[in-house]
Amino acid sequence: MNGRVTPLTVSLLTVTAWAVSLAVLSARPELVVAALPLVLALATLIVRRGVPEYSVTLQRSIDRIFEGEIVTVTIAVTAASGIPLMQLLGPLPRDTELAGGHHRAMLTLGPGETTSFHYELRCSVRGVYDLGTIVVRARDRWGLRAWERRHAERTLVRVYPRVVPLRSLPRPLHTQSSTGDYVSGALGEGIEPGDIRQFAPGDRIRQVNWRASLRLGSLYVTQHHRERNAHVVLMLDTLAEVGAAADTTLDFAVRAAASLATAYLARKDRVGLVTYGGTTDWVRPGSGRIQYERLADTFLRASVAFTYVTKDLALVPTRVLPPHALVIALTPLLDRRFAKAALDLAARGFDLVVLVVSPVSVTRAALPPSVTNDLACRLWRLMRRVHLDDFRRHGVPVVEWNPAEPLETALAGLARRRPRLATAG
Amino acid sequence: MMRVGSAAFSRTLVRLAAGVLALVLFVLPLHTAPISPVAVIGGIALLLAAVGIAMLWRWPVTAAACVFLAAYTLALWTAGEPVSVIGAAGFGLSLLFLFQCVELGRCVDRAEVGAGAYRSHVVAWIGFGLGTLAGTMAVMAVAGVGAASIPFAAAPVVAAVGAVGVILALVAAVRGAGS
Repeated sequence: MNGRVTPLTVSLLTVTAWAVSLAVLSARPELVVAALPLVLALATLIVRRGVPEYSVTLQRSIDRIFEGEIVTVTIAVTAASGIPLMQLLGPLPRDTELAGGHHRAMLTLGPGETTSFHYELRCSVRGVYDLGTIVVRARDRWGLRAWERRHAERTLVRVYPRVVPLRSLPRPLHTQSSTGDYVSGALGEGIEPGDIRQFAPGDRIRQVNWRASLRLGSLYVTQHHRERNAHVVLMLDTLAEVGAAADTTLDFAVRAAASLATAYLARKDRVGLVTYGGTTDWVRPGSGRIQYERLADTFLRASVAFTYVTKDLALVPTRVLPPHALVIALTPLLDRRFAKAALDLAARGFDLVVLVVSPVSVTRAALPPSVTNDLACRLWRLMRRVHLDDFRRHGVPVVEWNPAEPLETALAGLARRRPRLATAG
Repeated sequence: MMRVGSAAFSRTLVRLAAGVLALVLFVLPLHTAPISPVAVIGGIALLLAAVGIAMLWRWPVTAAACVFLAAYTLALWTAGEPVSVIGAAGFGLSLLFLFQCVELGRCVDRAEVGAGAYRSHVVAWIGFGLGTLAGTMAVMAVAGVGAASIPFAAAPVVAAVGAVGVILALVAAVRGAGS
């Protein structure tokens, strides 16, 4: 811990020197008397003081939250020796704001005394925040000497993207072999009745369709459609983004992806993720709670990294992009390389759905209201309509989502266009 | 857990105390010599002090202290009254506490304040003030006796040497504390 003289000392010394000089020049002893309190205060610097001894700890109320939620930070200090004045500066990372209290504190501590204070932080942007750095400044009684120290201990808080519940999801065209929630075209064990056929040895009695058997004069059994799960791969465009901080097209796309992942995992589907941009990252499809954790950690890292290189999705392993997987591309369609990659996937036989996060709406929301801005946005919207039609011409379902509206509304349009029965993969 | 009650009120009180001390520093010279040059110089100092207290900046307060001292010197020089130890000590203490109040204001600005923080400072200031007054009286008594033994012609030289000595000693103390 470094001790140093504070700027207040310099100020007091200046005023003292000025007072003494005036006293000599004017030959008035009152000015010496007036300077005496300042001299006495400064004279306390002659006394050698040891470094203040204390311990400081930081606790956070929770280590994982969703965007917009609040974490309470509690800082406790125990002084081994008396500290007349201690200033504490708690962590306030970028993109966070104070929701309650102050992250600074001024304390006076006696020997062995313990005190604590707390404040609330609102984290509005997804990411990993380190709350481990506390700056402590201890001062002597007159504030003439200070000892400053930075305590750094990694204390992370993960802020996950906000998730909205979704009921209508794009249905996959192909199902996989595991049990799930989709009615497969293949016949076998299931609940949804399919066809009837003549009884064969090995059929169970409870499968017999008695009404058909009586009418046709021989035993018939009811066949059922299998209920199967699907592979869903979310493909996130991290090539470009627009919009104000914390509300960029990428932020909205990540929130949508998190909501979709939650909804599909709840339906027992295997969900994977590919972030396509300057750095390509992926998570193999999987299911369950652990898989959501893996996806959420990748969502935290998702950011735009500019590159001139066009990444080839053929390099992505087959385990990450399994055949017959439903690929949901989340993109603002600002970079033509992503559109090319998505159309390439469709050409390779993937069941592709494109959810376009409207950059026009996001940009418009970030701009001040003006006639020129309105006109520019209208022209931009018309130009983008042409790009979207490119996808439709290739038979790829595409919907544009205005983030000001619920995601469910945009997805409902896709759900209506998908067949009820999926092909067994 | 720290008790943080009426924090905003306490912060206002610190600024109010600083304002009162600045007013004392303005009124004392004017009381000694009620003439317009003293009032004008004191007014400039009061303005600087007001800026320092409002913005919690240290440099306007330092400048204000220097100008207050200039106004006080002018008042003493013009009035030519007998030496007033209590008034001078009060002026010096007001200067010191003005700095302390602004510094305390800087510390508590947008900060949680511990329950005993204000109390311990006020108690220390009162103790220091009483001690300084007693000490000043004792020093003046000793100086009254000692002054008689110094030849009249050598008095300015002794005063100048003493002033330089005090300043150098303080600078040495500050340098020693900083190293």
